[in-house]
Amino acid sequence: MSFLEVFQYTRQDSIMHRLDPRSKLVLSIVCAAVSMMFMEIIPLLMVFICLLPMIAAAKSLGRWAKSMKGLASLLVFVLVFNTLLSPVENPLSYSLSLAIRLVALMTSFSLFFLTVQPDQLSQALIQMRVKFEFAFAMSMAMRYVPTLGQEAYAIMDAQRARGVELDKGNLIKRIRNVIPIIVPLIIVSIRRALSIAESMESRGFGASENRTYMEMLRFGKWDWALALSSLMVLILVIYVRFFVGLPGWMLWNLPF
Amino acid sequence: MALIEFADFSFKYLGADSLALKRIKLIIDEGEYVVLTGPSGCGKTTFCRAINALVPQFHRGYVAGNVYTDGKNTRENEVATFASVAGLVFQNPENQLVTLDVEKEIAFGPENLGVAPAEIRRRVEELIELLDLEELREKHPHEMSGGEQQRVAIAATLALKPKVLVADEPTSNLDPKSAETILEIFAHLNKRGMAVVLVEHRLDLVARDASRIILMNKGRIVADGNPREILAMDLCEEIGVGVPKATQVYKRLRTRGVDLRNVPLTGVELAELVQEATSQ
Repeated sequence: MSFLEVFQYTRQDSIMHRLDPRSKLVLSIVCAAVSMMFMEIIPLLMVFICLLPMIAAAKSLGRWAKSMKGLASLLVFVLVFNTLLSPVENPLSYSLSLAIRLVALMTSFSLFFLTVQPDQLSQALIQMRVKFEFAFAMSMAMRYVPTLGQEAYAIMDAQRARGVELDKGNLIKRIRNVIPIIVPLIIVSIRRALSIAESMESRGFGASENRTYMEMLRFGKWDWALALSSLMVLILVIYVRFFVGLPGWMLWNLPF
Repeated sequence: MALIEFADFSFKYLGADSLALKRIKLIIDEGEYVVLTGPSGCGKTTFCRAINALVPQFHRGYVAGNVYTDGKNTRENEVATFASVAGLVFQNPENQLVTLDVEKEIAFGPENLGVAPAEIRRRVEELIELLDLEELREKHPHEMSGGEQQRVAIAATLALKPKVLVADEPTSNLDPKSAETILEIFAHLNKRGMAVVLVEHRLDLVARDASRIILMNKGRIVADGNPREILAMDLCEEIGVGVPKATQVYKRLRTRGVDLRNVPLTGVELAELVQEATSQ
């Protein structure tokens, strides 16, 4: 699952990281929307080529390349199966564009998730008038993922030590094996949740109607520039795609 | 006015068979360093929770008597009312860190109370300096050691500017070195005028800092006073309190008829007292 790394925030100091999460969200959605609008190789490649410098601006090309390597087997799978099974005229061309589209989509969203810290994301939600409690619950979920993971491993070890054979047997047996892991994990988590609640309560969680924030996100001039230019690109692309039609050379297909 | 006053306070958790606290009566004043000790299940944790109204507001159950913290009745005010009076530090540091970095963690409390952003920023910088958290500033809680996590948790509690710091076995999940660091922090805070209530088993580490030791057993306070007086009592051994080594030696000598002038709490004190006794 190494290709998922491209959706994981990495702390870095780059132009992309410094931008407001909201403007990056607009950018990501526009990029994704544009790649969803085309089924031809050349426009998709153009989207992809536009995305690369942005990943570079986030100083994350290395990480991105590694994830794409992890994705390679899935891409080959997409290519082979679509080529063999799809009923269109030139299946190889079609499946090639599908593969490029997948990469472009992943890259679009990774631009957002690579550069936005979960806390920033919840701060952005709060400033978009989502209730603090909901936004905070989301960032807390992110916070406790590694903790729960560690706990799950500890429980698995404890159960193995008692003779539970977790990786043996047929599918049904394996599914049943999950029970001795899940049940203790849920109980431990509920206990932990109580203790976390106690600590949060002691620090005045939910005390004041007028909660303040040490740092507010600021939508600066670069954020406006990015968001507005992304939207303009979107409008332009929609116009060309639906009202003008692509120029002939962009519709080029592989002959088979 | 007393900082904390327990007036005949009793409490039983919902669904429990026996009382967790039985008619507790005591006063803690500003500037004190109180160490609370006793066997597991003796009611120490409930005592801590009663100070900031977690008992009976968060943990419900049968209540009799009252607790007044900073003059406010814990039965009539919400937990949040006490956030800037009594700061609680708990046993498990991992469960006290709810955000993804140190700055946000320290800011969490004051933000909840609606403190102005510039003031929060000032407190964050001050506490990072005071608790030596500079290198941890950008770390995820998961990447920190237990001792580091606990230091952040203490900073997060102090950000609310409490008058008393209440710590429930803050060192029990830590290695000896980190435990010592944490206890040094408490001693330092106490010297700066903050009252400290600390639940701790390792009395050899805290007895010399404490101004008062309270022994609890089965929900009652069984002894309360100066550390030297309390630790010299045979009651400590009877209920299983970890008396410092130096004090144990003192007690052995006493049973053999050697009476030192004072009760030692540390090895150095013991050495001095023995030297004094033999040179006479």
